[in-house]
Amino acid sequence: MSVLAFEWGYLVENGDALLHGLYRTIYVSAIAIAGAFVIGLVLGAARAYRIPVVSPVAAVYVEVIRNTPILVQIFMLYFALPEVGIRLDAFTVAWLSVMLWGGAFNTENFRAGFEAVPERYREAAFGLGFGPLGVFLNVALPIGGRIALPSSINTYISVLKNTSLLYVISYPELTTTALQINALTLQTVETFTVLAVIYLVLVWSMSAAIRLLEGHLALPEAR
Amino acid sequence: MPDWVHPVSDYMFHEGLRGTLEIAVVSLVGALVIGVLLGTLLTIDFRPLRAAIRLYIEVWRGLPILVTIFIIFFALPAASPALEFSPLTAAAIGLILWGSAQVAETTRGAVVSIPREQHEAAAALGFGWIGRHVFVILPQALRRLLPPVVSLLVNIIQNTTIAQVIGANELLESGERSVERLTAPPPIGLGEVHAFEIYGAVMVVFFLISFPLTRLAAYLERRLA
Repeated sequence: MSVLAFEWGYLVENGDALLHGLYRTIYVSAIAIAGAFVIGLVLGAARAYRIPVVSPVAAVYVEVIRNTPILVQIFMLYFALPEVGIRLDAFTVAWLSVMLWGGAFNTENFRAGFEAVPERYREAAFGLGFGPLGVFLNVALPIGGRIALPSSINTYISVLKNTSLLYVISYPELTTTALQINALTLQTVETFTVLAVIYLVLVWSMSAAIRLLEGHLALPEAR
Repeated sequence: MPDWVHPVSDYMFHEGLRGTLEIAVVSLVGALVIGVLLGTLLTIDFRPLRAAIRLYIEVWRGLPILVTIFIIFFALPAASPALEFSPLTAAAIGLILWGSAQVAETTRGAVVSIPREQHEAAAALGFGWIGRHVFVILPQALRRLLPPVVSLLVNIIQNTTIAQVIGANELLESGERSVERLTAPPPIGLGEVHAFEIYGAVMVVFFLISFPLTRLAAYLERRLA
């Protein structure tokens, strides 16, 4: 193998396998991001409005996830839980681990967003006769949700990047696939160049999408 | 407590936790030095330099840290045998690249937030660009950098576990080795699975280190805000 010349045949031979891995990376990320969105929305609201029982439980969940490494969380779910009789397959651990991680960070994003909604807006809505749910859906969510948007999208990008850690449970997403190809072909330079380029394209296009979306959804005063 | 607990915890604390702290300290110092330098240079109005630093930041922030560490550990030696690193070093380099990208971005913001009069006053006192930044601007900017740096430390400590994947002996790796050893049939091990207790303990140790630091970061942020 010539070391510095990139062998383009590599892409022809391994393109299919890499696309399969990329598909799984995107698939798992999509499930986890959707789940993290729902968790963040519900628990973030529970934290911001101090809903009894739910709020303290959510606080413990957030602190445990945020203060322990996600890799150890993956180890717990996949290698430790079977010891106590809970057996999850690699795919379940794949989306569950990154979803739980993203959900915890998103709870904080949404909590901060809801808490940033000026109290007078909510008072005005109550004054107009909205019930608590009406106030949340019509005032707190549209405003707080948009305040939380930039930080929550950063969390989604991290969720996507964290799927690479699923390599440790051999879930065949992009990174695992690339390392398997590397073991077979020994085309190390090609493998890691392609792997890096794919991740950068994914992450950079997501960041570009944020900027577009931010411009669209930003609150009038933030413009 | 069962007999296996003492030797295992002894091994994990002396070998594993030590490796974790080593990687964390080296990575934090490296990330700070390179990050503050790049972030300060980023405020210079010279397009090619700014573009180069931007590219550095976007690449190392964009790649998953695991992929960066794989590139350093597997791809660099394949490109040139001189670039072969031990797992511990490769992990530290990966974390420095990622961490310095984070620090550079925050430093730029902190330096820009120092009022222009400070630059002008320092220039009037006869400081050159370097003296102006080292003695006047950065000491003020670093104060604003404190909360994000504590958060970075938490992130670095947690991300040291990624070194486990390439076999560096940090806390998670020492835990995995202990689990494997205990699972092996006698006389090597006990033929017992203790994954839950051991990985649970790893989780608790990381929590005990990280939680006070996250509180500290939040407190500093409130106080400096």
